[in-house]
Amino acid sequence: MNAYSVVANRLVWFLPTLLGLLAVVFVLARIVPSDPAVLAAGENASAEQVQETRDRLGFDRPLLEQFVEYLREVARGDLGTSVYTQQPIIRDLAERLPATLELTFVGVLAAALIGVPLGVLSALHRNSWLDHMLRLASVLLIGVAPFWIAMQLQMLFSMQLGWLPLSGRIDDVAPEAVTSLITIDALLAGDLQLFLSALRHLVLPALTLALPGGAVVMRFTRTAVLDAVTSPSVAYQTAMGLPRRVIVWKYILRSALTSTVTQLGLVFGISITGAVVIEAVFEWPGLGTYAARSILHSDYNAVMGVTLCAGIVFAISNLLVDLLQMVIDPRGVK
Amino acid sequence: MTTSRRNALKLGLLCLALLAGGGTESASAQARNKFVFANSSAFDSLDPHTVFDQGRAAVRFNLYDGLYRFVDNPPKLIPWLAESHTVSDDRKTYTFKLRPDARFHDGTPVTSADVAYSVERIIALRKGPASFYLDLIKPGTTQTPDPHTVIFNLATPSALFLTTVPDILVVNSTLVKSREKDGDWGAGWLARNEAGTGSYVLRRYEPAIGWTGQRFAEHFAGWAGQPIDEVEFRTVLETNTRVLGLMRGDFDGADGLPYDQILRLKQSPNVQILEQESMRIFLLALNNSKPLMNDVHFRRALAYSFDYDGFIKNIMKDSVTRNPGPNPVTIWGSPAGLKGYSFDLAKAREELAQVKQPLRKISINSLAGYSESEQAAVLFQGALRQIGVEADIDVTPWPVVASRFAKAETQADVTPVWRSTFYVDPNNWVGEGFGTRYHGTRTMSYYSNPEFDQLLDRALLTSDHEERRMLYEKMTQIVSDDAAGIFIYNTRWYGPYSTRVSGIRFSPASNGNDIRWASIKR
Repeated sequence: MNAYSVVANRLVWFLPTLLGLLAVVFVLARIVPSDPAVLAAGENASAEQVQETRDRLGFDRPLLEQFVEYLREVARGDLGTSVYTQQPIIRDLAERLPATLELTFVGVLAAALIGVPLGVLSALHRNSWLDHMLRLASVLLIGVAPFWIAMQLQMLFSMQLGWLPLSGRIDDVAPEAVTSLITIDALLAGDLQLFLSALRHLVLPALTLALPGGAVVMRFTRTAVLDAVTSPSVAYQTAMGLPRRVIVWKYILRSALTSTVTQLGLVFGISITGAVVIEAVFEWPGLGTYAARSILHSDYNAVMGVTLCAGIVFAISNLLVDLLQMVIDPRGVK
Repeated sequence: MTTSRRNALKLGLLCLALLAGGGTESASAQARNKFVFANSSAFDSLDPHTVFDQGRAAVRFNLYDGLYRFVDNPPKLIPWLAESHTVSDDRKTYTFKLRPDARFHDGTPVTSADVAYSVERIIALRKGPASFYLDLIKPGTTQTPDPHTVIFNLATPSALFLTTVPDILVVNSTLVKSREKDGDWGAGWLARNEAGTGSYVLRRYEPAIGWTGQRFAEHFAGWAGQPIDEVEFRTVLETNTRVLGLMRGDFDGADGLPYDQILRLKQSPNVQILEQESMRIFLLALNNSKPLMNDVHFRRALAYSFDYDGFIKNIMKDSVTRNPGPNPVTIWGSPAGLKGYSFDLAKAREELAQVKQPLRKISINSLAGYSESEQAAVLFQGALRQIGVEADIDVTPWPVVASRFAKAETQADVTPVWRSTFYVDPNNWVGEGFGTRYHGTRTMSYYSNPEFDQLLDRALLTSDHEERRMLYEKMTQIVSDDAAGIFIYNTRWYGPYSTRVSGIRFSPASNGNDIRWASIKR
């Protein structure tokens, strides 16, 4: 299978998957026994105001009719208007998605930088005290709630040591948006001070994402490296007298990276959708806090918009993983 | 160690030093005389005519002005954009004289046309404070005989109109009209921009982060002392982050903190806690319309079954004051010496013995995420079991509770909930809470009593304050005698502020968000 057919295959499956996802979320959102018209009309609205809002937003029409109408609008590129922010959903998402992407990307990168070397180290020193310690640490990091990690990092690095900011995305006014990723935009603007400020704000939330993510990556890398170490090819390379460093970093790691990259893709997708808590703790203005608020306020269009957005990001990250695997291990490519 | 490794280590240490040594926001804020407030609610919209909740009051009080304004505690109504007003003999015509020196942020003078446009806009958008005016002011009836006179012609006399006048926030009609799109009254534009006269001019707004404002030096009310030059209201949803930010000096104020966090902040040398008796009642709202709940003896049995003192002492840690009736103790309209009910299970059993209808399991709907509401439900359930009444607790978020309040059939039998200040008048609590005319809107009780309704009708028409006082006292007594609700405490406001801040002027209407009176040490 070549790269084009991988992309084509993914796209063929992408649309029905997304449609199914939207249908499930559409129904689930409406099972909750709350009336979005009551919330949209405001805390002090009269019964007439509520009814008028319900009519205007079409919440009293049959579910199927509402869903078909929604899909028609989506096909036209209109995700609707948020009843809470009173803005087009697409605009709300565009304002928040870059913050989440920047955080997730840095977090996953850090997870890879932590997880891959430690996984290799753990496998190469199998059953040593180092291996046991690393495995124990990884279980703890996977098991502990992210908000607890976030708060401990805040207490240590912000409150006790005073090294890093407690929350927020930047100290002052963001640079002119080119990519809307503040670190990149600061560099493009040639403002080192702003770049460092953005980086300082990124450290703790990204580390909160990276620690459990890195633990997952470490465990998978360890398993993959152990498989590779015992493979006939490695036995052959050892017999040939190749230096151990070359065997480890050139052959074993390359073979192990296939499953590690798959894991990184999954960690990226999970981090995008699971950033709610971390964004709330670090006051990170991303998609997570928007999603949480939309769910709480039964802002149906916004919930659907976030789902659609997360689904697309997830699909793209999976596609990139597939392509990356082809680069790492081209044996399957014709 | 090889040279390349040593270089890598040096580079790493340099990066760490740069990261750790960068300037902090709090330091720069202090240098700029900037006030940073950590707000627990998100500023999703800046439209002053659609956003009406307390959590986002900062927009209304700092970017906009009304004809009158509530200040201090107990709240005083003071002239603001208007200098004075007169009322016709039939109390249907209110004439306001505007200040001649008031200007919008773009320099345009404020005229009566702007006031008329603002009230028309509120009515047309039918959100926020619109329900105060929908039956009272018909579209097109507001007159502007000259640029500084505006006349409201009410459909019926209303004793409440003046108390709701501060909610008619005036927008720059010329500017908003120029931004109207498809007859939206400029709603799309005003949700992200401002067109006001307020003490601060909007400088930056990012819905996901919050907004900043620069002091409007030309504000008609003038400036005294050392006012704050720049304000930032930042959305910080997480309680712990608001607390740590205050302790660290990143934030100069915050809201929405539970009492245990207030106690924690009291230990911090950087934080001061301001305290005021507020006007927010915590009650067990009873659905008086349902079978069994429509029996006064059953409701009294319920009222005798709540451990008021135990709840206030053990759960609220004495941070609030007992409030025996539907009105806050800080406002007029409650009879002197109103005692309300006490925790007395013997009396509860006596009342229960007089109930004619068969007993059934009752439903309690507490608010998810609000520990007081959940704890009150559990405490009440335990006491009810002792008198032989079983109760189920359903914990749901506010949107679900609000939806259930919309209909008598869906509202739970008992809902532990708060009643906030929408306007400063006993009608906000006892009138709206128990008058039949408010069923389906703001009632929370579905209580219906012709005698009460007659008193309410009169109280809404008369402008004689003494007569109104007497009427609301009678209504309050009726509600208490009928145990139409179970009233527990009046909220005490705890305002955590940086020790650098002084001059915060609390009013239950603004919740301390009216920043123009405050100063900050540079």
